Amino acid sequence: MNVSTNHSVKCMFALAGLHDVIDPEVGLNVADMGLIYQLNFDEEARQVNCLMTLSTRFCPMGESIVDGVTNNLKINFPDSDVLVELTFDPPWRYEMISEEGRNFLNR
Amino acid sequence: MIAGNNDTRTTTHKVVLPFYIYAALSFLAAAILLFTSSQVTGHYFQPHTLAITHAMTLGWGTMIILGTSHQLLPVLIEGKLYSNTLAYLSFAFAAVGIPLLVYAFYTFNMRWPAQYGAMLINAAIVCYLINVSASIAKCKHENVQSVFVFTAAIWLFITTAIGALLVYNFTYNILPRDSLHYLSLHAHAGIAGWFLLLVTGVGSRLIPMFLISKYDNKKLLWRIYALINLGLIAFVLLFVYSAKPVFYLFSALFIAAGLSLFVFYCYKAHQQRIRKRVDGQMKISLLSVLMMIAPLICLLLIVLLLLLSSVNGSLILAYGFSIFFGWLTAIILGMTFKTLPFIVWNKVYHAKAGLGKTPSPGDLFSKKIFNGMAISYVVGFGCFLIGILSADDIAIKTGAILLFCCAFLYNLNVFKILFHKQNSK
Repeated sequence: MNVSTNHSVKCMFALAGLHDVIDPEVGLNVADMGLIYQLNFDEEARQVNCLMTLSTRFCPMGESIVDGVTNNLKINFPDSDVLVELTFDPPWRYEMISEEGRNFLNR
Repeated sequence: MIAGNNDTRTTTHKVVLPFYIYAALSFLAAAILLFTSSQVTGHYFQPHTLAITHAMTLGWGTMIILGTSHQLLPVLIEGKLYSNTLAYLSFAFAAVGIPLLVYAFYTFNMRWPAQYGAMLINAAIVCYLINVSASIAKCKHENVQSVFVFTAAIWLFITTAIGALLVYNFTYNILPRDSLHYLSLHAHAGIAGWFLLLVTGVGSRLIPMFLISKYDNKKLLWRIYALINLGLIAFVLLFVYSAKPVFYLFSALFIAAGLSLFVFYCYKAHQQRIRKRVDGQMKISLLSVLMMIAPLICLLLIVLLLLLSSVNGSLILAYGFSIFFGWLTAIILGMTFKTLPFIVWNKVYHAKAGLGKTPSPGDLFSKKIFNGMAISYVVGFGCFLIGILSADDIAIKTGAILLFCCAFLYNLNVFKILFHKQNSK
């Protein structure tokens, strides 16, 4: 997983939690899908900033996936505000799926 | 560049679900008509055959495709649907117009029920065409699939406009010849222009997406688009200029070439898929791609027989049946259970996403019922087709019973999904 961050320990903790947020069509979690691009933690402002993408713009499940990421980060960082933003630059590609994700899909 | 989170908002389920419900009930009604009708063999221009055909093409095929395309157009064009109101109007006009038209054919009352029915259906299609055109015009991302959908909508309008002219021609003689003469023009604009173009266009996006396939070949899709449209335009010109039957082979060959390339496209998408396991819904959808070959063989046989002598009516009937109850029904049976569970899942579990385990969309319907539906469909379709070709009443009745079972099981699963209540594991 290639997620840019300013706090590697908190990032690992957040990603572990995001393994529970599943892309319902693929059946794979958003972290292994490679949908999470950036996780930054502003300790002074008590804010978690997540930059993520979707496999398709206007994906019928998109709103649920973004809400799932927001809800999950709120549970894991209850003292912080959570801000999830979407980007399609760069667009998601199949190569972004992690090795664990590929193994899961190859079963 | 950061996109607004509005880019996650797709067409609301309130727009889409009525189309699914209407289509499911129409399929059941058409299967009942097929079972109870005594006129399913012989010439295709008979009241019951026309009623069943229109219940299938409009109530089942067109309604579910209209619903699905309101949901999927934003994915294809990467932009929002222009208007929900137009989508509601499209549903309302079609929902009233279709039963009027089917009733008119069944009783062969070509006066007010057929005329009002035809006008309402045309109003529905105009709303759809405006919605599709405005949605595509507003979006910045042009792609081949949106061109497929737009062109299919134009062909649909041509089909229903010709249909309305044919209905009025029964009473007012507005066309130079009787309505039966123009039936093949009306039917082929609908079959190849609307259904084939739309299914290939949307399928070219959905099949790789659901298979999680890396395969993408825009150049091939443009060729498919050009071949199907060339075939259709050739057909229209040949019809208008009353060409000899031999020339229709060119039209059939263009469309056959387009279809062959689409089968190749689906094969490559399947070959280059990342997810190894292919679920039942995708299997039946892929089967439908192969089932396109059956009507094509019938069509080539019809043209060849026309060159030699005259065509047996049962071959024409088999051609139509293999399109509406074959290819079209198979792809809808498969794709319904790839799209509807997600729409309902989104509605029911949207607020719970990421807060704990929820059922997957695939858990919203019964796999046993789905398998029962698939088996009764494949066997029923085969029996009925053999029955038509061999004029065997037992095979026809067995096929009709099995297709009714398929429609019943389909409805059972659709309503199981629609009435799903929140259920955390």
